[in-house]
Amino acid sequence: MIELRSIVKTYGTHTALHGLDLTVTAGEIFGFIGPNGAGKTTTIKIIGGIMAPTSGTVEIAGIDMARDPVAAKQRIGFIPDRPYLYEKLTGLEFMQFTADVYGVDQTVFQEKADALLEMFALADWGEELIESYSHGMKQRLIMCAALLHEPQVLVVDEPMVGLDPVAIRMVKNLFRELAAKDVTVFMSTHTLAVAEDICDRIGIIHRGRLIAEGGLDDLRRDIRGGAPNLETVFINLTQAPADAPRGGPQP
Amino acid sequence: MSTVLDLVKPRLWPLLHRRPNGATRKYIRLGVMTTVAGALWIGVFLVSLRVLGHFSTIEQIGPLLNFKLLSMLMVTALALLVFSDILTALSKLYLARDLPLVHALPVPAHRIFLARWLEISFDGSWMVVIFTLPVFLAYGMVFQQALLFGLVLPAVLLPFALLAAAFSCLLVLLAVVVIPATRMKNIFILLGLLAFVAVYLAVRMARPEQLVDPEVFDSVLTYVASLQTPSSPWLPSTWAYNALQAALEGVPARGLLDIALLWSGTGLLLFICVGLADGLYFRGYSRTQAAGHKFRRRPAGRPRRPRLFSGPTRALIDKELKTFWRDQTQWSQIFLIMALVVIYVYNFKVLPLEKSPMPTFYLQNLLAFLNMGLALFVLTAVTARFAFPAICSEREAFWIIKTAPLAMRSFLWIKFTIYFLPLLVLTEGLIVVTNTLLRVAPFMMGLSVLTVFAMVPGIVAMGIGFGALNPNFRTENPAQAVTGFDGLLFMVFCAAFIGVVLALEAGPVYRFLLAQLYDRPLSTRWFLRAWTSGLLVLLLCVAAAVVPMAIGRKRLERRGI
Repeated sequence: MIELRSIVKTYGTHTALHGLDLTVTAGEIFGFIGPNGAGKTTTIKIIGGIMAPTSGTVEIAGIDMARDPVAAKQRIGFIPDRPYLYEKLTGLEFMQFTADVYGVDQTVFQEKADALLEMFALADWGEELIESYSHGMKQRLIMCAALLHEPQVLVVDEPMVGLDPVAIRMVKNLFRELAAKDVTVFMSTHTLAVAEDICDRIGIIHRGRLIAEGGLDDLRRDIRGGAPNLETVFINLTQAPADAPRGGPQP
Repeated sequence: MSTVLDLVKPRLWPLLHRRPNGATRKYIRLGVMTTVAGALWIGVFLVSLRVLGHFSTIEQIGPLLNFKLLSMLMVTALALLVFSDILTALSKLYLARDLPLVHALPVPAHRIFLARWLEISFDGSWMVVIFTLPVFLAYGMVFQQALLFGLVLPAVLLPFALLAAAFSCLLVLLAVVVIPATRMKNIFILLGLLAFVAVYLAVRMARPEQLVDPEVFDSVLTYVASLQTPSSPWLPSTWAYNALQAALEGVPARGLLDIALLWSGTGLLLFICVGLADGLYFRGYSRTQAAGHKFRRRPAGRPRRPRLFSGPTRALIDKELKTFWRDQTQWSQIFLIMALVVIYVYNFKVLPLEKSPMPTFYLQNLLAFLNMGLALFVLTAVTARFAFPAICSEREAFWIIKTAPLAMRSFLWIKFTIYFLPLLVLTEGLIVVTNTLLRVAPFMMGLSVLTVFAMVPGIVAMGIGFGALNPNFRTENPAQAVTGFDGLLFMVFCAAFIGVVLALEAGPVYRFLLAQLYDRPLSTRWFLRAWTSGLLVLLLCVAAAVVPMAIGRKRLERRGI
């Protein structure tokens, strides 16, 4: 469902991604973890079509992002880490905006919008201007909007940031339900417990290279002497010598 | 004091640490901007020198007039400084993005206030000071006191600017306790613009062009000179004026008391501000944060929307209109445009065509031809204010467009459509009304309407296209986008576009008018030339509409967020 082939991304003289190859299949929840500046957000932006790779190809549901970005994006629901929205619209107006942009039928929209707002505890806030929302509410509104057009691929950058414990549990359940319906969830996170909890497969990126990939048990086994949890795996694989540069500039 | 300086350092460090990175584009930008600003500065200096020099040659009342101008200049500068400082103070003290971090520091409120006052003093006054400097320089040269005046000037202007900033900060400090800063800023901008529009309309309706009428010129000047009422001794502008006048007359010692008043006034106001800051500043800041959470309950039910458009077009039009009407800062711009239109039309209404030595028919049509250029320059200004920032105004929510199944070409052309229709109506309205007032021939009316119809898409497309070259999505005020390098490019290209089109049309139109005036037949050569010009104009208009949009699209496609 998501196919990254030899993705290279450079910012001036700094190379953020060194030939990244990755495949995520339909119905899979893929956790993408790595230290700050490892290339997670760059990868997410490339998958979401926000940024073009310097070289390499991205395919979403078999559609090449470079050749037909509109069709590829039609299949994606994108949730960024920072919830920047049109502050002068109400929540419901933003949902309508998204529905119009993604070509969701008006009748379908009316049914789905109410259900989604209800699910994300925003039903009482639909008619309020977004500028009055808290960070977590904006994040939840973006999730509502991202699910409106029933995407085949959900690309999520730090899904749990700003959410309260109830919302975190609800989102985790939602991701599992979506995966059961063959939706691919590509999730970047620093919350290793969440990755451990819901991801079918985890990829660890470090200095622009995918240094490990597999199920949680595989990753634990790969560490010499075994590792009790994902945190140990992560630290073992990404701990660099103190004098080595960590990460690079963000765009 | 060291804490205050520490708080200012984050503002200074980026300037001190800036290193040239060899990017040619940046040097070109810097060079062009400096050249334009320098040319403007020299222009102000030369005009001031000429006007003051001319006045000084008028016997008896000449120096008096120059001093009156200086007095008016100081009052105007004070008003501008206070207006600019109030807006800057509202932003710096209550709305800036770094304030949560600054207020979390273990620093007393009055020190944060003092650090911000220093920034406000600089940000609010540098432009006023720089662009009044050539006028002062001209005064020094006309009064032949350049050196002495040059020494007194900084001793006057520095406390003058600091005092204006302290006064503005005090006003803001007190006002924000009652009205939150966000609302205060909108109200203040609106009131300021309404006052400006009122003064502008009043001055225009007074018909100052009569001053150049020899019949009334002398009597007006004598009247102005006879107005010797002293300015209020409580106004800092009077102190500054007195000190500068004394220096210009070669007796700077006479102005020492006024300079002392400026410095002590600044000290007193600052003392009051610092005294109040600990009690009021944080309270006002806290209140402003809470005021952001305004709720907008609406009756239940879905909004009913027209079905004229569908899909992304409808989405973007809806979003753009709602955002526009819900942002009160936009309303003030509408008032300004309305005032501009009223003045524009009024100018044509009071044109003394009958007094001209030229034949009325020729003059009417000549003015109508030039009117096309003027109306298109008005369009350029309005486009610069509204269409140019259209891409930038997406701000950090631009990720929504980047991830949407919407081609960048469609996005840009939808933006174009949103601004094209109202701007077309505005420009055609101006042309038709003013040409009707001029009572032009049907040929000129038709030519004007068609030319404008062909050129509006080009100018609007240039606005959108140039605005898409390097939009700053992190800006706090997208309307300021046009003040950058790309805005300058947009203005230059629009001026060139208008100039070339009018030049192409001028020849055939001139021949046609002469033929009409002297009742001569039109030659075959004229028809050939007219058709060639028309074709070239059409090609140019198409290129102006298509090329900037294509370049803007490519830039946006390549760009991340």
